[in-house]
Amino acid sequence: MNKKDELLKIFSLGLRNILTKTNMDYEKLQEIRLRANGPLIVIYDNKEFFVTNHSKLSKNYIDAVMITRNEIKETMEYISNFSLYAFEEEIKQGFITIQGGHRVGIAGKTILDEEKVKSMKHISFINIRLSHQIKGCADKVIPYIQSSDMNDIYHTLIISPPRCGKTTLLRDIIRQLSNGESDIDGFTVGVVDERSEIGACYMGIPQNDLGIRTDILDCCPKAKGMMMLIRSMSPRIIAVDEVGLGEDIEAIEYVINCGCKIIATVHGSSIEDIRNKPILGRLVKEKVFERYIVLNNRKSVGNIEQIFDERGSILYQTVS
Amino acid sequence: MKSMIIMKIIGAVLVITSSSAFGFYMSSSLKDRIEDMKELKKNILILRGDIRYGSTPLPEAIGAIACRHEGNFAKFFTHIYEELIKLDGVRFFDIWKIGVEQKLKDTSLNKNDKEHLMKLGENLGYLDKDMQINIIDLYIEQLEAEILEASKVLKEKAHLYNTLGVMAGIFVTIIML
Repeated sequence: MNKKDELLKIFSLGLRNILTKTNMDYEKLQEIRLRANGPLIVIYDNKEFFVTNHSKLSKNYIDAVMITRNEIKETMEYISNFSLYAFEEEIKQGFITIQGGHRVGIAGKTILDEEKVKSMKHISFINIRLSHQIKGCADKVIPYIQSSDMNDIYHTLIISPPRCGKTTLLRDIIRQLSNGESDIDGFTVGVVDERSEIGACYMGIPQNDLGIRTDILDCCPKAKGMMMLIRSMSPRIIAVDEVGLGEDIEAIEYVINCGCKIIATVHGSSIEDIRNKPILGRLVKEKVFERYIVLNNRKSVGNIEQIFDERGSILYQTVS
Repeated sequence: MKSMIIMKIIGAVLVITSSSAFGFYMSSSLKDRIEDMKELKKNILILRGDIRYGSTPLPEAIGAIACRHEGNFAKFFTHIYEELIKLDGVRFFDIWKIGVEQKLKDTSLNKNDKEHLMKLGENLGYLDKDMQINIIDLYIEQLEAEILEASKVLKEKAHLYNTLGVMAGIFVTIIML
């Protein structure tokens, strides 16, 4: 089954028929948005389009196919593999990762238990963000994160706003460091994949290529997972996506103290932005990270804007 | 004259044998129904365990039951598993309904048992975990009550059916003679 067929299987039958007939290149498709009583919208090649009843992409709202409540309900049934209860924890966070590593964001009416979100019902808004594995997208950055003698790597933080390709870049960095090259040995990499986005594991087996020396702890909270991996799999490098909580930062310090190297990503737009964050900012000020890779999507998704060293000196910059 | 007597004896043996067999069949079908309900309960308990402790999605949990099970419910669980993984645009309850209607012919479940099983399918899949477990618990309780009731009936009627079968055969034979 190819990527397109695999993805289309999560849609209600009506939407599936419409989307099958579109002539979109799925490598350029970034998002599909469904809203109850709203139009079917796709983000394709960085531009927003409405999808019409005749499976054409249009800029005109009037032509758009309108999504019904039942279609959302049916789609949710397929997204959750007929088992919404199995995604209780994910629904609390507002998204589900499906086979293929695609992230499905959901919104509806939240049910609170005291102050915590207990569950969500009447799900009426769905945003499917497609995950793309782009092998070779880390070619440019690998020389900057390897030490001069090639036997080690630097603690690296990838800084990027949402939808700029940080997970895709992280995935390829992991793959390349894990595989090694003819003259460079590969590293044992431990990946804590809290949202199943990096490896897109399906029943424990990664669907994305993360290299031959990679161990993945799937669906595990980052802070706990980092500690577990160090004790259980003795990795040389630990890779995590979207750090943010205080406990994540404490775990990163633990990883570094254990002599492992860390590669992490974080939401942000610049190194200054991260420096101003209360907990993560402290690590930046203490020069814990030795390389910072800043991404944007000005030219295209995954555009590497700048690479800094621990003192903030620019090592690489895109010529604008 | 002699051949007439032989014919009568053969006829009498046939009548007694068939009516006794019918009596035994009636009592064994009661036993089979209880055995099937116990088997179904065991499978539903496994399903509940998978949901409760592993938060396993239904296709995976039902697939695991289908793999392990070789009894009368194998066709039912295999059918549901195979249809679920196809993701062919058929909703869960429709798959479950067809399974109950068409794939339980090897079992001795009666119409009422199948209706209860059908209702369980209406509530599987879309609730939160606690609700899901409660629904399954309720079904298991119902199944246990049915098993208890059927066991009582079996005690009362199994012997009755067996004896009645033989006696009815003898009675008919006497009348015919």
